[in-house]
Amino acid sequence: MEGIKYIPKSQLFDCSVELSSSRKFFVWDGVPEHPLLSEETGVLDVAASFDVSSRMERLSYSPSLENIPPKAVVIRPEEKELTQVIFVRSTSAPLKSRVRIECSKAGNYEVLLCSHTAGGDRFYTEEVVEVNLCKGARLDLVIMQNENSLSRHSSDFRLKIEEGALLKMNTITLHAGNISNNLHALLCGKKSECRLNGLYLADGEQVIDTDVTLVHQAEECVSRQLFKGILSGNSRSRFTGEVVVCPSAQKTEAYQANNNLLTSESARASSDPHLVIYADDVKCSHGSTAGTIGDEELFYMRSRGISESEARILQQQAFAGAVLETISRTELRDRLSRLVERRLRGEDTVCAGCDKRCC
Amino acid sequence: MDNLLEIKNLHARIGDKEILKGIDLVIKPGEVHAIMGRNGSGKSTLSAVLAGNSNYEVTEGSVRYMGEDLLKMSPEERSWAGVFLGFQYPVEIPGVTNVNFMRTAINEHRKHKNLPPLSAAEYLKLMREKMAYVEMDPSFSSRGVNVGFSGGEKKRNEIFQMAMLSPSLAILDETDSGLDVDALRIVANGVNRLKTKDNAFVVITHYQRLLDYIVPDVVHVLYKGRIVKTAGKELAAEVEAHGYEEFE
Repeated sequence: MEGIKYIPKSQLFDCSVELSSSRKFFVWDGVPEHPLLSEETGVLDVAASFDVSSRMERLSYSPSLENIPPKAVVIRPEEKELTQVIFVRSTSAPLKSRVRIECSKAGNYEVLLCSHTAGGDRFYTEEVVEVNLCKGARLDLVIMQNENSLSRHSSDFRLKIEEGALLKMNTITLHAGNISNNLHALLCGKKSECRLNGLYLADGEQVIDTDVTLVHQAEECVSRQLFKGILSGNSRSRFTGEVVVCPSAQKTEAYQANNNLLTSESARASSDPHLVIYADDVKCSHGSTAGTIGDEELFYMRSRGISESEARILQQQAFAGAVLETISRTELRDRLSRLVERRLRGEDTVCAGCDKRCC
Repeated sequence: MDNLLEIKNLHARIGDKEILKGIDLVIKPGEVHAIMGRNGSGKSTLSAVLAGNSNYEVTEGSVRYMGEDLLKMSPEERSWAGVFLGFQYPVEIPGVTNVNFMRTAINEHRKHKNLPPLSAAEYLKLMREKMAYVEMDPSFSSRGVNVGFSGGEKKRNEIFQMAMLSPSLAILDETDSGLDVDALRIVANGVNRLKTKDNAFVVITHYQRLLDYIVPDVVHVLYKGRIVKTAGKELAAEVEAHGYEEFE
């Protein structure tokens, strides 16, 4: 896309935060512009780490872009520093990309991955994001997706969590044409923990799919999932969640919830949570809901002078808040909360002067 | 003095069921009116219709508030014009904090009056001042609206909101229900502090109890959707002593 580079990057993406303890990198169409992000062109063996059971067979990489060589980026976050990696699609050719986040020492890590489309093209992206947390590593991972209404983006997140490690992941989908987030998490080390939270906002003709497969392989692991969606217009969301507790995974705690708020007559949410339990000493629960903004709450707020539109926004913000408040870093939480608010108000969430059709 | 509220031959229904069957009521600034009546007599319907609850349909009659057609106004427009309803069952709104709720309300009122929004510091000062009216702990401000509040706390929160919005016409729908004596006194004191010569209160209640603390100028008895008797404050004592049977 010509023209996009005329806009200073500092104005382009307001998802990112300016901090002294932060490093920011751009990746344009799969190519990192900074040497600190190493580019590995070889194919990553992502499937190998998921050889758990036959259940996992369907996780093999989709071959739809078979003839395109993948672009790969490896991120090695430094301890106690927010690593921001901003992926921008700017050329219309389909892209197959692979990203690997390596936390190979025990410690606390923070990574923000943003994906954007610069321009109004029909971008098509297939991506595998592999996250490896070694023993004792704790990673806060925030995924922010803000793409145009024509974009199609399929992301496979392969999350491997070893002994005593903790993954906190927030997937915030502000806007996209058709997004498919497939999360495959493996708790393979004793006393490891995984918290997967997601918020998706959709309107118009958008379609957002979330497919979670979470495998408890080791004992005494904890997993918590909270995925929430706000759907308006003719948008669709599909949530499929499966928690598998292997026979070896005694004393597992696993919770899964998917809640959807429909703000128009024609929006649709489908939700399909599953628990598959092979161990006998476990605590597990799951549930899903789809609802609308309550008339009683609306009337109560309006009777205090809050206009109907403002009352609706307050309700939606409250609904989204349960996910946003799980983002650990205050600056990032505030920034994303503001972006969500602007999105709910129908305001632009990216930059002036860009011809993308994000909102 | 001009009438603040003028209700003429008001009929209203919910679904196919007619509940108000011709209410006439005139309220002047500075007055406190009590409306008493049994369950199902139409007390709550009257307050809901005045606040603009769309579950109720007005089939006949008129309501003029400060000379304007109240029934044409949306609930938020009524609030901006100075009408306040204290809910019998205050609604819980999880995730919306009390402070965010009330600050939004106050600033919407200000926007309507072409005033700039209150700064955070100005808002906090006002909030603390009004919370003191109802002996409410400031920690309530960071909690979800009415979420996990006891019955008494919810009613105090209603009076706090009323104090924040300083309405010209406040309708208190069974604010005394579910309150113990201490909470009743706190709520009544809050109301009495807000009384001026320019505003008016409609106190809806089953019992005389609340009227020992908030002394009405006029008492009405509502029966089967009509006001069947209007008199001074002594009527409340009469109802308390003899029940509603004599009006049937």
